[in-house]
Amino acid sequence: MGKSRISNNIRKLRFNHSEMTQQQLAERVGVTRQTIIAMEQEKYSPSLELAFRIALVFGVPLEEVFSYDAGAVKANEA
Amino acid sequence: MSFQQKNITLSLVNFILILGFFLFRLIQMFNSDSFTPASVFRLWGITIGLAIVVTIIGTILTHIVSAIIEAIRTGNEDPKIEDFEDERDQLIDLKGTRITYTVSSIGVFLSMLTFVFDQPPLVMFTLLIFFGVVAQIVGDISRLVLYRRGF
Repeated sequence: MGKSRISNNIRKLRFNHSEMTQQQLAERVGVTRQTIIAMEQEKYSPSLELAFRIALVFGVPLEEVFSYDAGAVKANEA
Repeated sequence: MSFQQKNITLSLVNFILILGFFLFRLIQMFNSDSFTPASVFRLWGITIGLAIVVTIIGTILTHIVSAIIEAIRTGNEDPKIEDFEDERDQLIDLKGTRITYTVSSIGVFLSMLTFVFDQPPLVMFTLLIFFGVVAQIVGDISRLVLYRRGF
């Protein structure tokens, strides 16, 4: 399974929030550290609920955490 | 390696050992001409019993060993183990279960095929348990692969 079309800024946002560790973020959103690692490596796309919980922790809108590569979809459809 | 991965690895090792035991006993039966309904159904019972008992003991052991390793690593006498299943764990488990069922279904189909080739029902029953264990092994391997890939 390759990288997903959903990219994210979780790592950058963690560092901007007092260098929050992966473990701290995992505990605050209720997942394991391995899931945070998989998301940061863009190997796993979270559910909508988890995505909102992560955005809430950082206090930013969802679009600032996650972005969707629509170009890749169009390229695949062409 | 997360708690779930350790648990799956232990399950994989257990089921490989159970498969080894099953095949070993089966070869013994063929060599001693004791491939009879009584001995095959006894082996069925032992294999299923072993699978249940070993799975329960394996889960308990994983908890204990994880707690000991975590206690040594952190120096905390009451270590916290991440033994809960989050959404990714549940999805990986679902995919693994689907693969297990697929292999199991193919196994049941192949076992039924033995009737086409005029084999006695005993062969079908033996193949059923064999494919059941193999399906569990393939499911565990696929779960581990999914964990290694991220999802």
